[in-house]
Amino acid sequence: MTDVRAPEADPFESAAEPGEQGPRNRDPASGKLGLADWLKWGWRQLTSMRIALVLLFLLALGSVPGSILPQEGTDPGGVQQYFASHPALAPWLNHLGLFNVFAAPWFAAVYLLLFASLVGCVVPRTFRLAGSARTLPPRAPRHLTRLPRSAEYQTTLTPAVAAEVAATVLAGHGFRLRRPDGDGEYWVSAEKGYLREVGNLLFHLALLGVLVSVALGGLFGYKADRLLVQGTTFADTQSALDEWYPGRFVSAADLGPFTITLNRFDASYITSGAQRGQPSSFDAQISYTAHPGGPVRNDRLEVNRPLSVDGAKVYLIGHGYAPVFKVTDSRGQVVYDQATPFISGASGNFLSQGVVKVSGAQPEQLGFTGVFVPTAVMVGGVLESAFPAADNPVVSLLAYAGNLGLNDGVPQSVYQLNTAAMRQLTSAPQLLLPGQSLKLPDGQGTIAFTGYVPWASLTITHDPGQLPALICGLAALGGLLLSFMVRRRRVFVRARASGQGNGAPDEAHSTVQIGGLARTDASGGFEDEFASLAAELRSAHSQHEGE
Amino acid sequence: MLKSRRRVIALTATVCAGAALAVVLLTGWASGGNSGVTDVAGSNSAVLYSAGHRPVAPDFTATTLTGSRLDFSSYRGRVVVLNFWGSWCAPCRAEAPTLAVTAQQYRPDGVAFLGVDVRDDPASALAFTREFGVPYPSVSDSGSVITLDFTSVVPIAGTPTTLVIDRTGHIAGAVFGPATQQELTDILVQVMHS
Repeated sequence: MTDVRAPEADPFESAAEPGEQGPRNRDPASGKLGLADWLKWGWRQLTSMRIALVLLFLLALGSVPGSILPQEGTDPGGVQQYFASHPALAPWLNHLGLFNVFAAPWFAAVYLLLFASLVGCVVPRTFRLAGSARTLPPRAPRHLTRLPRSAEYQTTLTPAVAAEVAATVLAGHGFRLRRPDGDGEYWVSAEKGYLREVGNLLFHLALLGVLVSVALGGLFGYKADRLLVQGTTFADTQSALDEWYPGRFVSAADLGPFTITLNRFDASYITSGAQRGQPSSFDAQISYTAHPGGPVRNDRLEVNRPLSVDGAKVYLIGHGYAPVFKVTDSRGQVVYDQATPFISGASGNFLSQGVVKVSGAQPEQLGFTGVFVPTAVMVGGVLESAFPAADNPVVSLLAYAGNLGLNDGVPQSVYQLNTAAMRQLTSAPQLLLPGQSLKLPDGQGTIAFTGYVPWASLTITHDPGQLPALICGLAALGGLLLSFMVRRRRVFVRARASGQGNGAPDEAHSTVQIGGLARTDASGGFEDEFASLAAELRSAHSQHEGE
Repeated sequence: MLKSRRRVIALTATVCAGAALAVVLLTGWASGGNSGVTDVAGSNSAVLYSAGHRPVAPDFTATTLTGSRLDFSSYRGRVVVLNFWGSWCAPCRAEAPTLAVTAQQYRPDGVAFLGVDVRDDPASALAFTREFGVPYPSVSDSGSVITLDFTSVVPIAGTPTTLVIDRTGHIAGAVFGPATQQELTDILVQVMHS
């Protein structure tokens, strides 16, 4: 990004660095160059603004599949679903890392190259800015009328006084001045607008800061999910989390030792009009302790109103229903009595599916696949949900007996029933209202649908890069504005004794020449500034004439 | 100008190399081993904590699956095998017979076994203990609060996890994942004779 300035040729810049033109533009293909030259050429290409922009674009492009395709990190179920529905395409996408874009080697490569490009650009720039801040403006050119902006007038002041007055006026406008070293010439060189380069640099540095912050979040942050049934508690420890995605340098010991109890969850919905069934509010009433033995505090979670605890943020991201089942086995023992979270699918209005695994039932294990319908209606013999609130709750169950496959020691999903070693007990789904129970055939026992409670799903995130990224983002914006709004410009004033013919110069009369040049006049407006400066200089000179 | 540019390139390269070195060192440091912890021979999931490096087991008071209060401090002075489990947890079901046998085997030596039933309901948990003939009590930890306390001293990643606690209430050994009889015996022999 060495050439972020306006692309048009900068007459001062090229004159100031004559040595750089040759090697910079040399193409290694055109001449005989050694390895060192090739490396230098590669480095210059990498740190050029063109390549940095290409990399930035690639980074943005690379994020697109991350938001279109389901990602391993956030939606592993969606990935499985995608594999099932696109069996031919999915393996190819997987080879390209498109299901885990932000961890893919090519994404890391683009990221690191962009980082290197920015570092390689900013570091030399900083040195150059420091250097240019120390150097004085150049000496005033001899013929100021040749500059893009110029003015000329006569004054009765001596050249020395005229130059002195001009210097005072320009200094008053915040210009940095250079005066002659007493060689019989009278001129002032003035320069202004260093903030442009400072803003430019700030922008680059802040961009680097954003990249570092994002990396920081990825390395030292984490994300975890937990589904919490109303009335239950969970402690923020790895074994109590449903999903846990730690950063590279995060271990389970970095989890904040807080405990959250979901006391009550309420969801309300719009009951009429075109928006009927759309949620109007969610409200999770919780109590929490920040650390074991700490004071219990009450709070509320709403969408986009997270809880901040122990450096982590706890977001309310979803909810659903957990029907409560009580299962009695053939011996009359209660072998299952709990609220079982059901997950709503795409079918809408919280028609939810779930699984009940009764591993302790005798003589055989029992399993049920079920559907929970909050507001049940029959549409052409098909059970559907007419509204997301539980106005007419019904469960529909299919019962199985046999071996759940749990005793082999292989972990299973709690939302899937492996019926390979089981036989179906009921030929058709059995509907139950709250309080009703289903007697299983052959005296296998009973399942009672005793009620339902809501559940809320929470996402716990810790992203140490969030605040730095915000600050860097604002700084980048500020820097960009500065570099757009500030122009670097030079103004020269030269006073010469106006000779009457070829005779002795009349020291009492001078010709004042003013020349102006905007180093980077991409945004315009220098014309007006120069005109008003010239007018001010002229009036200052005529004021002094009267003294 | 060319010279200063070369200097700048060298400086940039140094900064990059420094950053790379820092990352490598940080990674190495993060994956470095703990002192005072040795693997149990022939096992990749069981560890022994040597004397002086044994973390203190947190105390807790909880309700057993049958509804009575249990104060963990009353176990002080005995070797305790503390097993974190759940009836929903398939590997726990696989290791349950091993634990039941080992508990019977070490009962004459005064070794106490205690279960911590995590994220479970008592009905399912009691069905589990009946099914596997678990000869020792379990406390209910449906909110993972006891697990959290222990996680502050040993890295419990999930169920099953088995901790062996010495007579002074320090954690002397741990099996992360399903425990085998060999692993439990190896740890218990060490702890009982120390």
